[in-house]
Amino acid sequence: MSRRSPSARLRHAPLGRRTLALALALGCSWGLVFARGTARAESTPAYRVIVHPDNPSTSLTRDFLVDAFLKRTTRWGDGETIRPVDQRADSAVRRRFSESVLQRSVAAVKSYWQQRIFSGRELPPPELDSDDAVVGYVLKHRGALGYVSGSAKLERAKVVQVQ
Amino acid sequence: MGSHLRSTDCAKRASFAWFAVRLAAWLSISIWTSTALADDDSSTQGALPVEVHGFVSQGFIKTTANNYLAKSKSGSFEFSEVGINFTKGLTDRLRVGLQLFTHDLGPTGNYRTRFDWFYLDYHFFDWFGVRVGRTKLPFGLYNESSDVDAARVSILLPQSMYPVSNRDFLLAQTGGEVYGIVPLADAGGLEYRLYGGTVFYDTADAMQAAANVKVPYIFGGRLMWQTPLEGLQLGGSLQKLRLDADLILPDAQIPNYQKAGVLPADFKNPIPIRIPALLAIASLEYSAHQLLVAAEYSRWRSALNSAVPSFTIPTVESERLYLMTAYHVNSWFTPGVYYSLYFPNASDRSGHDPAFGAVPGSPGIGRAAYQHDVALSLRYDLNQYWLLKVEGHFMHGTAGLTPTLNDNLPLSSLRQDWGVLLLKTTASF
Repeated sequence: MSRRSPSARLRHAPLGRRTLALALALGCSWGLVFARGTARAESTPAYRVIVHPDNPSTSLTRDFLVDAFLKRTTRWGDGETIRPVDQRADSAVRRRFSESVLQRSVAAVKSYWQQRIFSGRELPPPELDSDDAVVGYVLKHRGALGYVSGSAKLERAKVVQVQ
Repeated sequence: MGSHLRSTDCAKRASFAWFAVRLAAWLSISIWTSTALADDDSSTQGALPVEVHGFVSQGFIKTTANNYLAKSKSGSFEFSEVGINFTKGLTDRLRVGLQLFTHDLGPTGNYRTRFDWFYLDYHFFDWFGVRVGRTKLPFGLYNESSDVDAARVSILLPQSMYPVSNRDFLLAQTGGEVYGIVPLADAGGLEYRLYGGTVFYDTADAMQAAANVKVPYIFGGRLMWQTPLEGLQLGGSLQKLRLDADLILPDAQIPNYQKAGVLPADFKNPIPIRIPALLAIASLEYSAHQLLVAAEYSRWRSALNSAVPSFTIPTVESERLYLMTAYHVNSWFTPGVYYSLYFPNASDRSGHDPAFGAVPGSPGIGRAAYQHDVALSLRYDLNQYWLLKVEGHFMHGTAGLTPTLNDNLPLSSLRQDWGVLLLKTTASF
């Protein structure tokens, strides 16, 4: 029977077993970090989709959001013009919203808009600098549709669920 | 006659330049006042100021052999584009816009400022809108944005499908367009564009051997199915046009043609010609997450009709295709690659058919019958307004070259395998 400590046993283990142990350790550590991240993500969502308080919608489908933010759909059900508003291209909330809802990288969306702008087809949504600015825009425009980070102060802006 | 045409063109260009200056001044004032009004009305809904966007590009092109697009064998900086556009929503449904554009690419462009597009657009519903003015032609996936370097990864779009030499014919038309997206419930949506009008051709860019170049009609449409799989769209474009012109033969060559029996003894310039053309493209694009994949296949059918039989060319059908992909590695780096193929005559892809040789009985046009183009592009976005690109092409064949840039040598005598290096930087806002 060996009386070596566990760490000493690992040091003297064959290379394959050492690699396996290291991979397991890294895997467990990453798993713990991931679990903590998930727990944090569950408590604070990565983004929230907001509309004007007078907007009757309580939930919107992802497809509707894609069409609205790419301006393929321009009217709410009651005929009000949809006014989507984006955040800065380098913001984390824009990146998360773009990849999970639009299912395109921010670069791909920028490229889409460059094509539309310079061929005279359409103009992109305004880009605002912060959550507060987006909330302010949404409160000002009845047809506004925006997104903010999970920790943003919403004031009277209404959060809608994404289906 | 030629000098008269040139002086008329100069006068037209000068008056156009003066008009452009006045327009720019008027727009600057409009923007200032509109912005001021927008600020004053910032508390109200629906303040719609003039939106201004622009871009400036400067490129460099160098080839290992053969002059391509410019005098590229020795390296050329004649590769620039500048555009600025102004768009104003007059109401939620009515919008006006215009773009001024100037460019230089080898012998074309020469920084003449022109209206790239201008329009009045009324958006009745998402499934129906009307637009009148000079509008970009929805032909294939990227024809409308082919001038805009910032809108893509590659410096040159696949030249089999979007040849820069055809820019003045294929980019925009003056007339009307109807458009819309018809929702198909769970099956996605159907985007349609139908247009008709004419193309006002700038004679300053005309071939030196042609005058009175006109496009009496152009019409067509594009139908794209936006599939339920996000980012996947496929569809097709069809375009029909006719180009009329007067072909002017150099006076010195007329006696030679007459001796050879090609021209009648009483021949006098010019030779009126008509070129009817029918163009079709099938398109597929998948753009989702970090990946872009696009592929298009096209056939262009054209003929050259003239009262002089020896200057008549029967119907020829060219074949064009490409496959392109790009991957957004991160926010600042995107590599891309494409393969593009061009056959000017789909009935003679190898160039060995003597029926299509330059002279009856010759062995065929050889390497001028095809052009294979493999391109690798690297795009660096330095920030959201400024980018740099590097691109290399390996070319096999000479079909995309022009004799006028290559000492008027026949394309079949130019170097078969050659390379292109391009560098470009673009700022846009």
